[in-house]
Amino acid sequence: MSVVSTVDAVKEYTRGATTLRALKGVSITIDPGEFVAIVGPSGSGKSTLLNLLGLLDDPTSGAVYVGDRAVSTLSDDEKTRIRRDTIGFVFQDFYLLPTLTARENVAIPGFLHGNRRETLDRAADLLTRVGLGDRLGHTPDELSGGQKQRVAIARSMVNDPTIILADEPTGNLDQKTGGQVLDLFDQFTDEDVAVVSVTHDKQVTDFADRVVGIVDGRLDQEGIP
Amino acid sequence: MDGPLGRRFPVAALAWQNLTRQRARSILAMAGITIGVVAIASLGMFGATLEVSIQGTFQDTASSVIVTPGDDFEGDAFDADDVRMVERFSTAPVYPLWTDSANVTSLEDPREIRVQSVDDPTEFATAEDGHIPDPWRSGALVGSSLADQLDVAAGESLELDNQTVRVAAVLEPSGQASIVSTDNSVLLPERLMGDADIGMMVLKAESPPAAFELGETLRGELNDRRERFSVTDFEEAIQQFNEQIGIISTFLLAVGAVSLLVAAISILNVMLMSTIERKGEIGVLRAVGYYKRDILRLMLTEALLLGVVGAVIGLVLSVFMGMGINALLLGDPFAFQPSAVGSVAQGFLFGTIASLLSGAYPAWKAANERPVDALRD
Repeated sequence: MSVVSTVDAVKEYTRGATTLRALKGVSITIDPGEFVAIVGPSGSGKSTLLNLLGLLDDPTSGAVYVGDRAVSTLSDDEKTRIRRDTIGFVFQDFYLLPTLTARENVAIPGFLHGNRRETLDRAADLLTRVGLGDRLGHTPDELSGGQKQRVAIARSMVNDPTIILADEPTGNLDQKTGGQVLDLFDQFTDEDVAVVSVTHDKQVTDFADRVVGIVDGRLDQEGIP
Repeated sequence: MDGPLGRRFPVAALAWQNLTRQRARSILAMAGITIGVVAIASLGMFGATLEVSIQGTFQDTASSVIVTPGDDFEGDAFDADDVRMVERFSTAPVYPLWTDSANVTSLEDPREIRVQSVDDPTEFATAEDGHIPDPWRSGALVGSSLADQLDVAAGESLELDNQTVRVAAVLEPSGQASIVSTDNSVLLPERLMGDADIGMMVLKAESPPAAFELGETLRGELNDRRERFSVTDFEEAIQQFNEQIGIISTFLLAVGAVSLLVAAISILNVMLMSTIERKGEIGVLRAVGYYKRDILRLMLTEALLLGVVGAVIGLVLSVFMGMGINALLLGDPFAFQPSAVGSVAQGFLFGTIASLLSGAYPAWKAANERPVDALRD
């Protein structure tokens, strides 16, 4: 069974009198353990699609499924719970809390809900796994860009998700550090965690199991470089 | 946040961490609340303590009832029968006040002065020089101003209507509020007064309310349709005084409330800025599984912490200020009045509630931002 899928998903934004169709009917299925790269020019709808897959936004029409559950039937609280239980997010700007240590940042998703001690232990394990075992007590301003991104990746894994959604995960990193990030994703996919990454980076598309092109709100293999 | 406190109160720990990010801003917001709390508490305490201080001055007067001959009284002054009649109905001791005049003949140019007598002069006067004899059979007590004018001191003697009397004591000035003013008169034991008149009787009750009640009783019992006895108490004056104190207190409270309002607006401002600055971060928290109510709780806790810490500092400062006010007005730094303690509690409560209220809108705004919008910018 697919981890998450969309069927004919349309997303429109209304700004005053004009309506912008960011997605014009996209159907995509993400299977467990696969690494999917979504590529396309800016404004093509990549991020919108990622937001739909991450239950951060609702389609104007069409459907989004998590497993076999239609997201449109869920309340905000239920969507929040699904995000917490099954989805990990990695953002281009890392979005780490500046006053918290690396370990606390990784543990933050489980801080209010769940066993805090276990979450903190798991956070330490994950940081060790991403090569930051000696940086547990460092705050973000004491870490390099690559280290911050690895903290963010560890955070996306702390709740044992079935899918990780990454928005330009290597966008702010050099080639070598980007490679380390991809190696981590590779390890996760080996554990049946799906990774979907919006990217402009050829390094990522070369690495992906599947590359999906998107142009002007539609899936389009022409868009693949 | 790894610590035991952080694990126990994760929201409070997270909120505290967030406040320490913009330390100066948080401290200024707290200072606003502190000033508001101090304003409410110390102004309230000032009002309460002032009231007690003034009441202390008037306590003696307000606890007295004065009986004088009424419009329908036959004769010029009371006699022993009238005193007995008042005593019959009074639950408080009755002090008849004899009044007469005498010439100070020891002076080159003899002058007339007022001579008074009362059974227990210690109830109405205090000796400044010498002492008031007990029992009081001889010796004159000279009022302070008169003693200055006649230039006499305790132990010297005075010639009144050609009789020599020894000055037993010179009295302290009687306060403005005293019923029997002794400043310009000589007090003599009753047996030396000759055929003096009883111009009035003073009844000393335990407290102002007891005096008001006594006045009421006497008015009913002593007079029929004719008003033979005029009974005066100070109920109305005290009521007016209390009303005025009430107005002053309300005014002071309003001044405090305005400063707290300003503090609340400052917290509102700090929290709004904070939600705007941390928009993306809040979006991430929502994305990784924080409910709207978690964000609400976090932001409200931040506002509440600003308020509580500010209010606690304000509380401590207020207690010190209260001690200053107490020392100044009552002569005892620890003489906290119950209503003064009440205004400190009120200040604390208002400060805390103000911070919660002003945190409510930013918290609500942050919680209801869609994560996708929060993350877009």
